[in-house]
Amino acid sequence: MKTIPTLGEILQAQGVSRRGFMKYCAATASLLALPPAMVPRIAQALEQARRPSVIWLSFQECTGCTESLTRSSSPTLEGLIFDSISLDYHHTLQAASGDAAEAARHAAMQENMGKYLVLVDGSIPMANPGYSTIAGISNYDMLMETVEGAAAVVAIGSCAAFGGIPGANPNPTGAVSVSDLVKDKAVVNVPGCPPIPMVITAVLAQFLTFGQLPDLDVHGRPVAFFGQTIHDRCYRRPFYEQGKFAETFDDEGARKGWCLYKLGCKGPITYNACATVKWNAGTSFPIESGHPCLGCSEPGFWDKGGFYNPISTADIGSGAGLAGAAVAGVALGAAAATLSRKRQQKTIKEG
Amino acid sequence: MSLKDPIRSPIPFSRGNVRPLLNEIIHALDRLLSDDEPTVIDLASLPFAPGELEELEQTLGSGELTAELDALGKSVIRETGYPGVWWVEHRNTGGEVVGRYIEITRSPEILMSQDADIGAGRARLNDSFESPGPELKEEAGK
Amino acid sequence: MDLLDFARGPALQVAIYVFIAGSLWRILGVLLLQRKPDHSEARQSGGFRGALKVIWSRSFTAPAFAKQTKYPKILGYILHIGLFITVFFFVPHIVFIKGLFGIGWPGLPNNAIYFVGVVTVAVGIALLIRRMTHPVLRLISNFDDYFSWLVTMLPLITGLIMPIRFGVRYETLLAIHILSVALLLIWLPFSKLAHTYFVFISRGTTGALLERRGART
Repeated sequence: MKTIPTLGEILQAQGVSRRGFMKYCAATASLLALPPAMVPRIAQALEQARRPSVIWLSFQECTGCTESLTRSSSPTLEGLIFDSISLDYHHTLQAASGDAAEAARHAAMQENMGKYLVLVDGSIPMANPGYSTIAGISNYDMLMETVEGAAAVVAIGSCAAFGGIPGANPNPTGAVSVSDLVKDKAVVNVPGCPPIPMVITAVLAQFLTFGQLPDLDVHGRPVAFFGQTIHDRCYRRPFYEQGKFAETFDDEGARKGWCLYKLGCKGPITYNACATVKWNAGTSFPIESGHPCLGCSEPGFWDKGGFYNPISTADIGSGAGLAGAAVAGVALGAAAATLSRKRQQKTIKEG
Repeated sequence: MSLKDPIRSPIPFSRGNVRPLLNEIIHALDRLLSDDEPTVIDLASLPFAPGELEELEQTLGSGELTAELDALGKSVIRETGYPGVWWVEHRNTGGEVVGRYIEITRSPEILMSQDADIGAGRARLNDSFESPGPELKEEAGK
Repeated sequence: MDLLDFARGPALQVAIYVFIAGSLWRILGVLLLQRKPDHSEARQSGGFRGALKVIWSRSFTAPAFAKQTKYPKILGYILHIGLFITVFFFVPHIVFIKGLFGIGWPGLPNNAIYFVGVVTVAVGIALLIRRMTHPVLRLISNFDDYFSWLVTMLPLITGLIMPIRFGVRYETLLAIHILSVALLLIWLPFSKLAHTYFVFISRGTTGALLERRGART
């Protein structure tokens, strides 16, 4: 097995000063939503951390998650974290293709057996293995083969985490999530459509720094970023409490920045870090830009009643169903009345 | 406007995040004076409404000392108008903000020369001293 | 399908079907009953005007009984008005009704609704205690009385818990709240809660008859 340099050695070789490294550690702490007091511990851990091998598998996906992660034309500190992993297999980013690429994947697995990280984006079709293949291998086979020697699996994006858009009604490909298939390895879900790039790199950074996976919630998502609802951290919350809502897009309330609940905002039932971490390096997030939250980090968000229907609306069935209920009621009522009238007649007759 | 300019809603309004933060800073200054205990507040962990971060920065203002750090991108370490309260902002090589802190301390750690760097610099100086390159000869000649 | 999807979907659907069918059953079952023909001469034209008069006048206790019934009367009014305000002036509820019927109206701030909700629950508990300790009420109260109390209070209580959470996830609390409303809808037509519409029918019928007879309304 080749000797893997520590991150400290890599940074030193790149000419990064101690001050630069301190800056890097502070940014990592911020990224991991850890208190500044943790920075010395992070520094210590990072100095000794070794670049883990990472295999990225892409299945039924739109590549949006990779786009989200790599959205920087110039190197950034997030990029540095990303660079400090050895990305041994990735369809979009790798230079090799075809058999050479698959050979690289197998080589990485062999060399790092039991230690490599598997990142997955996209859902896996189970209705027919032919629906999505890579180099003639079905997604299912590739997933199960690759995770065998993995230290951990990270399902990136709502497709890998919950089935996503392929899994939405009527789910023609029989799309399932990674955790539906992988039962004997630790699976971390980082959902979102796409996930906030900082959150993806934070999970990698956590693994890199502390060699362990973060605390997870009931859906397998890191609690640090998915522990609060958007609603609970939304800066427009006071408007919700005061009863000030935008009624339509671009009306007066919308322009004043009032709550978007009536426009279908799924903030109250969505757990994600958009309201605090935000997007594009803290620039803004959908609600701040005037659009209601889609709930994209929740399972089955495509089928939660419509993006522009408020949470309070419910599907109460078809007109036919309601008419049927009415007819049933009338029939029962008439029947009951008939019986009562018969009894009334009988009583009267009997005097 | 460029893509790098932050999008701010037209009516900035105070959500009341600034006052409690200033209160926290006052208590941190007390601790600094009485116990010599520094405090670091990570501003990224606080959900500011549009305009509030600017309000905070303006309220704290700037004081006598501003330092610019050039390591993995530019950083600014600035003592605010209130001595002991430092505004530390880290940017990457792309100019994006990767960290923003308020440090209540006599001097932020990152300002100090670090042992590892001192050691590396000493070695470099020693090397150039032992075998002066053409640049040093030229320097000596000036 | 998780609990919230179930509550908002099939559970609420079934509840509404049962509510409609059950209500029509009971209302028609009463309205279609044979009426005793009134052979006496009409003192005045009875009918609708009399019905309306008594629907209104029965809301106020006859002076002879006013003092005795003051306490439960006041509590009852607070309970009903409180329910009305929390149900019809809380914005998410208005949004729900708008989704069903297409009409909406302005709501009250959440804090005001919460305050009214708390007062209503307190009054509800006071009325329950009265029912359980009053010498007569204790004897004549049956399952319908107590269960209807519970079914009415549950949506209120579950709604009030939602902002507090008690460590439970919001979606779960919302699902439980909606399920409690489904329970109310199913129970209503077949219990004393059917007074929701029967009060108008019974008062109206009495009023029409009394007016025709020339009795005081």
